Amino acid sequence: MTSVWEFLAERFPVEKMDLQHMVQGKTVPVHRMSWAYYLGGITLFLFLIQVVTGLMLLFYYQPTVNDAYESVQYITEEVPGGHIIRNLHAWSASAMIFFVLAHLVTTFAMKAFAKPREVTWLAGIGLLLITFGFGFSGYLLPWNQIAVNATKIGLQSIEAMGQYLPASMAHLPTQLKEIIQGEASVGQATLSRFFVLHVVVLPLLSFGLIGIHLFSVQLHGMSKGVPGEVKKTEKFFPTFIIKDFSTWGAVFFIMFILAVTLPFDAFFSFPLMDPYNARGSTPDGIKPEWYFYMVYSPLEMLPYWLVMLAVNGGIVVLLLAPWIFQHTSIKTLRTLAIGFAFYFVIITLFGDVIYHLVKGGM
Amino acid sequence: MIIQFLFIGLPYAAIAAVVIGTYYRLTRKEYTVSSLSSQFLESTFLKWGSVPWHLGILVIFIGHLVPFLLPDLWADLVKHRPILIALEAVGFVAGVMCVLGLVVLIIRRIFTSTLQLVTKPLDFVVYVLLLSQILLGLVTAYSYRYGSVWAPGTVYAYLYGILRLSPDMTYVQDMPFVIQAHIALAWVILMLIPFTRLIHMFSIPLEYLFRLPQKVVWTNEVRWNRRSERAQYMESRRYFFRGVAGVTGAAGLLSFGVLEKSGHYFQGQTLDDAKEATLLEKRLKRMKLTAEEKSYELERLKNDAIFIADLKELQPATGKYFIDYEMRPALAFRDAKGLPNLLSAKCTHLGCTVGKDVDGQGRIVCPCHVSYFDIGTGVPQAGSPTEIPLEHIAWHLRATDGTIVAHGTPDGTVATTAAYDAAKSETYKVFIIKSKGVTVA
Repeated sequence: MTSVWEFLAERFPVEKMDLQHMVQGKTVPVHRMSWAYYLGGITLFLFLIQVVTGLMLLFYYQPTVNDAYESVQYITEEVPGGHIIRNLHAWSASAMIFFVLAHLVTTFAMKAFAKPREVTWLAGIGLLLITFGFGFSGYLLPWNQIAVNATKIGLQSIEAMGQYLPASMAHLPTQLKEIIQGEASVGQATLSRFFVLHVVVLPLLSFGLIGIHLFSVQLHGMSKGVPGEVKKTEKFFPTFIIKDFSTWGAVFFIMFILAVTLPFDAFFSFPLMDPYNARGSTPDGIKPEWYFYMVYSPLEMLPYWLVMLAVNGGIVVLLLAPWIFQHTSIKTLRTLAIGFAFYFVIITLFGDVIYHLVKGGM
Repeated sequence: MIIQFLFIGLPYAAIAAVVIGTYYRLTRKEYTVSSLSSQFLESTFLKWGSVPWHLGILVIFIGHLVPFLLPDLWADLVKHRPILIALEAVGFVAGVMCVLGLVVLIIRRIFTSTLQLVTKPLDFVVYVLLLSQILLGLVTAYSYRYGSVWAPGTVYAYLYGILRLSPDMTYVQDMPFVIQAHIALAWVILMLIPFTRLIHMFSIPLEYLFRLPQKVVWTNEVRWNRRSERAQYMESRRYFFRGVAGVTGAAGLLSFGVLEKSGHYFQGQTLDDAKEATLLEKRLKRMKLTAEEKSYELERLKNDAIFIADLKELQPATGKYFIDYEMRPALAFRDAKGLPNLLSAKCTHLGCTVGKDVDGQGRIVCPCHVSYFDIGTGVPQAGSPTEIPLEHIAWHLRATDGTIVAHGTPDGTVATTAAYDAAKSETYKVFIIKSKGVTVA
């Protein structure tokens, strides 16, 4: 019991919880990797954009199987500025995932999870999973062909786990799937559940975790990030924070231009954007969002159990990273991080090409 | 009368004035052939004014000169639409650059006190004339599109006439006012060249490119840091005020824009009746579909057997979609013996809906991850992402009087009863039946 208290006392040192330590006295190291200190802030800003645009979309969106598609159409086509808000929400969502991943990779490479920052790291991993949850649940809400079919595939992959379990437990994944989707197949119950997850449960969770995350970041300061001594630092307030806000401005500018000029669904072929039709065959080209390719593409090529093992193993490794990589040098971590980033970029950009190479055409 | 003066009298007066005036100034007052430099007095605004202005005006000058000197080449160029549009666009952008540059230069002249020393009243006349001329040109380019096409045959014909001493105003006298003003003002500006700073266009500083480098030291970091405490204080104060003004202005503009737009967003669109009607129709159609869906569900809850199709509707090569008892998509085919063959269409891999067309080898394919299924057995082809076969769906074949003449079970076995009569098969109806206990996983 005392060890638990000691653990908490080290991670939340009460004597440091004042403005002097957390804001005025805080410094930010200046070195070659300093740019990585801005990634978390950008992610936070994109999250704020998501909150604001999401609330605005809520004013018009109707989460029923009957009306969801029409209400989204109405937002895009009739509401003044509606397409900008929706585009901004979609583009910023993608950007947020991108920056979350970049933040993950860089903090890993900079060993930012090392003692006493374990709690920051764990909260961060929680936020990562929540962000993916946001992506997955939000994808269904427009209730078009690609949305519903992609969700079906995603949920089915839970059920597919059943075949690898002993017979007495084989029904459990199916049960889990049906608990998530609320009925035997994706329908109104699923839409309601995903809606509630997307706009109530996950936001509440992320507010809490972001609170812990930011609080710990301010409490412990920035991690050193590079091997050896840090020669130069700058003040967090006002020097760093002004630069931080300036990047936010630039990010907003880019996101806004994107939202005004480029409809995010311009990259999908048209039948995928039709309202969901339960009785037709599934149209070609059903794909999850790009950030799920890293799991989806291997799923197409490799045995199912292998991919699931890798994914779940990956999550466990991330959760335990502060302890697993306790004694690993920053140099090694950097190599690992570059390896993952390389894999991610290759599989996201060329997953299709690799698939065709492996399978030898259609 | 005034037209004759503007388009015939004024041009000759202008040409005479330029020739005589320039000759006079070049020979008698050769040291004034330049515009008074003011770079030492103020250089920041100069950079943002002078560079865009000169770049823009050079581009425009070339654009006006080439069709005059090489009319055939020009005509060949503008024949091609992409080139024409590119030329017009470049010209227009250059014009906008000129305007921006000029505005900066004018503001700089007015608001920089040190510059008053080297400013003459005529400078302002030149500024105003140039600005008007550029604006007139931009309006012409915008309102009377593709001047590069129409000007060579009209305005340039007039110019050649002037130079050949046989002036011909046919083409210009009925032109819109804006274009006439642009032409007339051009003569005025031409006339002023020898008497104003415009004379510097004859002294192109080409030797600058070849002379030895010279370093002009105005201020440097050391001197900058040594400036008096008072100066530093004023400096930081100025920056602070500038920052506050900038931030307030930007925040004001931003919040105004955001409020205005979000006001509209929340107010929503007021639709006209036609639009409203289309939207309502669309919604009603959706509602009917949903209602239909629900009625299927109800039907499946209440009945032990549900009519799917007439046997004659079913084909061996193209499936008919229907909804099975679990509200999942399914496909109905007719097998070789003329009996129904009912398969679940929910792919056993990841749950997509399998396509309805049978290929040459008796297979249907799931479009998501290319699993081929044999329609006879439901077994996926080796190498498909899934190994689980598609389930057969239990069915009854009934004659018109309701007697069961054949049935199929979820394991795919098919049996006919004594009442089966192949000759009457076109009247038979296919039903799916609630298969108690045997649920499809």
